[in-house]
Amino acid sequence: MEAKKETKELKKQKYVTFMSGKEYFGLKIECVNEIIVAQEITAIPETEDYIKGLINLRGKIIPVIDVRLRFKQEPFEYNDRTCIIVITVQNTVVGLIVEKIAEVVEIDEENLLPSPTIGKLEKTQKDRYVYAIGKVGDSVKLLLDPEKLLHDDMKTLESAYEDDAKDDSNE
Amino acid sequence: MAEDFSVEGMLDMYLFENRQLLEKLQETVLDQKDADCFDEDAINEIFRTMHTIKGSSGIMMFDEITEVSHKLEDIFYFIRESHPENVPHVELVEHVLEVADFINSEMDKLEEGGTADGSAKEIVANLNTFLASLKGENKEEIIKENVHQAPTQFYIAPMATASSHFFRIFIRYAPDTIMANVHAYKIVFALKDLAEDLLHYPEDIISDESSGDYILENGFKILLQAQCDMEKLQEIIQEGYEITKVEMEEITPQIFQMGLDAFGISADSIIDLDSSVEDITKKEKDQAGAIAPGMFVLPPQGQEAKPAEKKEFAPGDFVIESKGPGKSKKLAKDKATKQDKTSYISVDVKKMDQLMDLIGELVISQSVVLQNQDLKIPGLRLDNFNKAAGQMVKISTDLQNVIMSMRMVPLTNTFQKMNRIVFDVSRKLGKDIEFQMIGDATEVDKNIIEHISDPLMHLVRNAVDHGIETTEEREAKGKKQKGKVTLSARTESGKVWIGVTDNGKGLDRKKILEKAREHELLDPTRLDSSYSDKEVYQLITLPGFSTNEQVTEYSGRGVGMDVVVSNLQAIGGTLEIDSTPGEGSQMLLKIPLTLAIIDGIVMQVGSNTFVIETGAVKEFINIREDSVIQKPNKEEFVMIRGEGYPLLRLGDWYGIADCETDVQKGMIVMVEADKECFCLFVDKLIGKQEIVVKPIPDYIKKVQGLTGCTQLGDGRIALILDMAALLEE
Repeated sequence: MEAKKETKELKKQKYVTFMSGKEYFGLKIECVNEIIVAQEITAIPETEDYIKGLINLRGKIIPVIDVRLRFKQEPFEYNDRTCIIVITVQNTVVGLIVEKIAEVVEIDEENLLPSPTIGKLEKTQKDRYVYAIGKVGDSVKLLLDPEKLLHDDMKTLESAYEDDAKDDSNE
Repeated sequence: MAEDFSVEGMLDMYLFENRQLLEKLQETVLDQKDADCFDEDAINEIFRTMHTIKGSSGIMMFDEITEVSHKLEDIFYFIRESHPENVPHVELVEHVLEVADFINSEMDKLEEGGTADGSAKEIVANLNTFLASLKGENKEEIIKENVHQAPTQFYIAPMATASSHFFRIFIRYAPDTIMANVHAYKIVFALKDLAEDLLHYPEDIISDESSGDYILENGFKILLQAQCDMEKLQEIIQEGYEITKVEMEEITPQIFQMGLDAFGISADSIIDLDSSVEDITKKEKDQAGAIAPGMFVLPPQGQEAKPAEKKEFAPGDFVIESKGPGKSKKLAKDKATKQDKTSYISVDVKKMDQLMDLIGELVISQSVVLQNQDLKIPGLRLDNFNKAAGQMVKISTDLQNVIMSMRMVPLTNTFQKMNRIVFDVSRKLGKDIEFQMIGDATEVDKNIIEHISDPLMHLVRNAVDHGIETTEEREAKGKKQKGKVTLSARTESGKVWIGVTDNGKGLDRKKILEKAREHELLDPTRLDSSYSDKEVYQLITLPGFSTNEQVTEYSGRGVGMDVVVSNLQAIGGTLEIDSTPGEGSQMLLKIPLTLAIIDGIVMQVGSNTFVIETGAVKEFINIREDSVIQKPNKEEFVMIRGEGYPLLRLGDWYGIADCETDVQKGMIVMVEADKECFCLFVDKLIGKQEIVVKPIPDYIKKVQGLTGCTQLGDGRIALILDMAALLEE
């Protein structure tokens, strides 16, 4: 009995959830350093549009990216509720600009589902950051792969298109 | 008493001290390599250095190092004692350097966590032959050799009594012993096996490093209760490298009971008996300069610093009677002795970096306070605040200057290493070369020194190997037989200029061009003659380029110059090459003094803030609209005082929204990079500020022209523009 309980607890995982667009997203709590309110961002020329620039985090200068723009969604106006989630992925510290922080939730592994897909649409850009969905009560959180969020550069995007094209031709 | 002590810390200390000693040693040796023989100071110094290294290596049980240093010590002992005539000086210099190299390389291994496993057999054999040859020439003199103290065997009589004996032991160490407390611990440790009871004073010899000093001054006292006799103890505690005196007496149990107090009277009397007043004062003086374990205070210039007429000799030094008239020898001593007496303390570089960072933060937070929005409310009376603020700014500027100067290290050591390279390479190649150093006291940030050591080494090797002709060639050309390599350093306009000059054959323009054509490095449509000398010389910095037909041990593989250039670029430096055929060439390195804090001009374009290093800015100009002329290819230039300068609109260049387009409303900044002047157009100037350079996070891909970022007084971030990088492409 005891052993069973233990394994059950091990499978639980905490997620920081935030709202972007209409949906709620979740990030594993281990990769989140802290959450700060939005502050002045210094733009850097000649970079991708979703890289909004640099912020000064207590003397440390870190880049910030806009999650909405990263998802190719409509840009939004930053306001008081806009937050920056500071995450560390493979020693890179990056801030994620999100509309609203929701809560920290605990999700059992059994409540995780692979992200449902129809056809090929989800395989392309819009959904490839989501590695699973988590059920919390009635709501659903889209769980993000932070590494993909940061490092999926244009090249892979193109190759994703190419893959699609290949799939099309096969069919 | 703690049984175990950190070997780690001891190893660090060992490495640190020996490195210092070897550096000093090399300096001394190279300083006098051109003399006919070492002067007495040098001989004493080398002897002492080897003695110290031998001692500390012995403790650490690095046997090979111990043996090598012992052998060299022997040689110098011999030289010191019997002043042999006709010492092959150059050979001796080579032997000393060889030993220093060996020890250094062993220490490198240790530093990287390895073991000192190198074999010194060959070196020892060489030294033996050398010593033998020295002695061979001086047969008539009978020399008492400085024998390596082999453990003497005693016959131990069977124990007569079963009852315990009580001993009082008093040990005195040589005043130049390093880490006497550790030596003392060695003895305590050895006695532990025998002892039934053991007391010693000073009590704490492991964690308290100052106990070493105490031991040196007052000796080390042990009360021992053991079931053995005096002989056995004598076997353990022998007069050796460091121990100059051992007093041992058997005492009654009553005295033993008195504990260490029993030492009170007798110990003092021992000192009084042994040392004359002179001795004591001498020892005190030595101790003043002695190295306190753990503190790393370097003895201020050792012997040289002491005025000649009041010369004190540390025990272990011997005065060499100057040779009678007859043979006039060129003694290195004729040189002016260094008189400066500075004491140093070594600090962990990490701490320095941390301090530097903190000062950076302080500078920023200071401007956050002084430019605070709250102060900008109209109608505030800020007279007193401003006064106080002014004072604070002054102090923090001073503080910054001090910390910067602390990080500044003279180039002396780096140059000294080059001296060594010239010496080695020129001997191997059979070239007679004079090495000159100018301005080696020039100070440069420590970070930078680390980066220029390799490039300099390449350049110096090149100069000796390629630059200077062989003696025959020189003679044939009617040049002075002796080649000359000059290493010079100076500071000018916020940069350090380091020059490597040789008076050799110079660069061969034709050969370089041929080679470049061969490697298809040139534009095939351009004629050779259309390349300027400068352009041609720069070709040798391309990867894979080497004009030397012969690949030698030292150079010729063509990997040198491009490494030099890339190393320099990493620290924002440049290399200029100049050459006159037949007369020699000059490599000039231009390196920024420091990397951390720069003086910058802050300017605004749209909502972006940029910083340009003050040194790059020539002037600020307001111009009329009609002085901007657009060429058909949309390139613009500005006519200023009758000269045209290309114009770069920073806003357009970086695609910044809502930036100023009217040239009359904005500001023209004339900048200089790589000897080219051009104009930048910005919206407005904000001011001049000390800025702390921070790297742009790796996550953001490299943007052309941006070298870093910094935090401004109001907490905002500004991007640092590098003019040279802006021009690339």
